[in-house]
Order: sequence, then structure tokens, then C-alpha cells
Amino acid sequence: MQDVIEMHLKLLFDLDNLIADMEEPSYKKIGFKIEDEASLELIRKRNQLLKKLPQELAQRYEILKKRYRQAIAPVESEFCLGCFQKLPTELLTRSKDIITCPNCGRILYWREKS
Amino acid sequence: MNLASLLSKDRVNLSLKPGKKDDVIKDLVYSIKKGTDAEVIVSTLLKREELGSTGIGKGIAIPHCRSLVVEKLEIAVGRTSKPISFNSIDKKPVSLIFLIIAPPQDPGNQYLITLGKIVQIAKEITKKNLIQQAKTPEEFIALINDIEKGLTKRK
Ligand SMILES: [Zn+2]
Repeated sequence: MQDVIEMHLKLLFDLDNLIADMEEPSYKKIGFKIEDEASLELIRKRNQLLKKLPQELAQRYEILKKRYRQAIAPVESEFCLGCFQKLPTELLTRSKDIITCPNCGRILYWREKS
Repeated sequence: MNLASLLSKDRVNLSLKPGKKDDVIKDLVYSIKKGTDAEVIVSTLLKREELGSTGIGKGIAIPHCRSLVVEKLEIAVGRTSKPISFNSIDKKPVSLIFLIIAPPQDPGNQYLITLGKIVQIAKEITKKNLIQQAKTPEEFIALINDIEKGLTKRK
């Protein structure tokens, strides 16, 4: 993945998870105060980020999000964490392109080693 | 899973540099991740703060989010030598900060369970006035462990 696109994509994904969590009853129960106006602003920000992605990728992201709730799946020890299928060896070298899982179609993400 | 077992003493900083809210959050994040990963986390945490401060009152804040870049639940604790402004719900400055970052996939909902537990423990800490109690990270983790045991017993 190209660095800038990858950065936008990661942020978009994190924001979408943030928005999803806000709606979670078990999150609401914890009792943090959320301002309504601010959550609308958050949705605006995520839409802005989406627009920064190449159109085709943005469309794919939205379709995957609708289908799976989470459009991106991390790769862990050769497995797609979205569908838990082992990935074919030719996919396992980190590439500059956007790679999707051949089984479930989610956008794959290789975490940095830390 | 008990909270004390999720804490490690190198992630408990009892002499965190006081400063602006954003910078203090950044310092804590960098104790967990570096580089662009850290940038992503900081950015998401600050967006979360815009929704409403995670300063829950009486000197404690609990910034939190999920992020693609972490593979397991990560917690860092910081106590600043001087209280800092955090736009808390009671407008009081904050000196104890629990930072929690969770991966997007989270079997068993460990993130929200842990977050809820930290809120409960934080309330005990303020109620009993224990923010400044621990002198070392080891003491801090032991304190959390004691409070947690007390809470479980009460149930
Ligand atoms: Zn898959």
C-alpha cells in the first residue's frame, strides 16, 4: 500500500470502529459523556477521509463495510483474521498494492513488527 | 481477566511530564507504539476526545479507542507531577491517566469489559483518595490488584 493511502485507510477504519462503538449498548452503559454535535462531526470527518481514497478503493471499502462491518482484516501468522483462512504463499510478502483476501475479499493489513 | 495482570510496570509512569492534554496523550501512546502506528493511535484518540472528554472527574482520565495497528489490548498508565487540564466533566484538572488501546477484532469483548472495570476502579481510587498513594509502579499495580479484589468480593 502507498504510505499516504494506507494512512488514510487506517484512520478511516479506526474512525468507523469508533463510530460503531459509540452505538454499542455495552459501551453506552460504561457512562462516558458523548456530545451529539460531535458525533455528527465525526461522521463528516470519516466521509472526508473516504473521499481522499482513490475512488475504486473507496467504493470497495464501503461495500466491504456494509457486508462485514469491518472492511479491513489484519494478517496474523499467514491467516486472514477476517475469515481465518490461510493465505496463499504468493500473498505473504508485504506489497505496495492494496491486497484483498482471496477468500472473503476484505482488504488485508500487515501490522508493523514492534 | 483481572486488570492488574494486564498492567506491566514498564507501562506505568508515575512521573509523567505534565503538559497540554494532546502532548500527554502522545507521550503515553509512544510508550506503546512508535512511528506511523503511534500517529494513527494518537489521531484516533484525539478524535475520541472531541466527542466528549474521557476525563471522568476528580482527577482521572481514561482515553481509549480501538486501532487496527495493535494486535492485543494495550494499557499504559501515567501520573503527572502536576495536574493538567483535560476538559473533564467536572472541569477539574487530571493527574492520573489510564490509556487503553484495543485491536478491532476482540473475542469476548475484552475491550469494553476492561474499560468498564477501569472506570469502576478509577471511582474507587478517587473515593478513597488514592491517586498519590503508590510510590513505585510495583506499588501501583499492587494497589490496583487490591481494589479489584475488593470490588469482586462485594459482588
Ligand atoms: Zn479473509
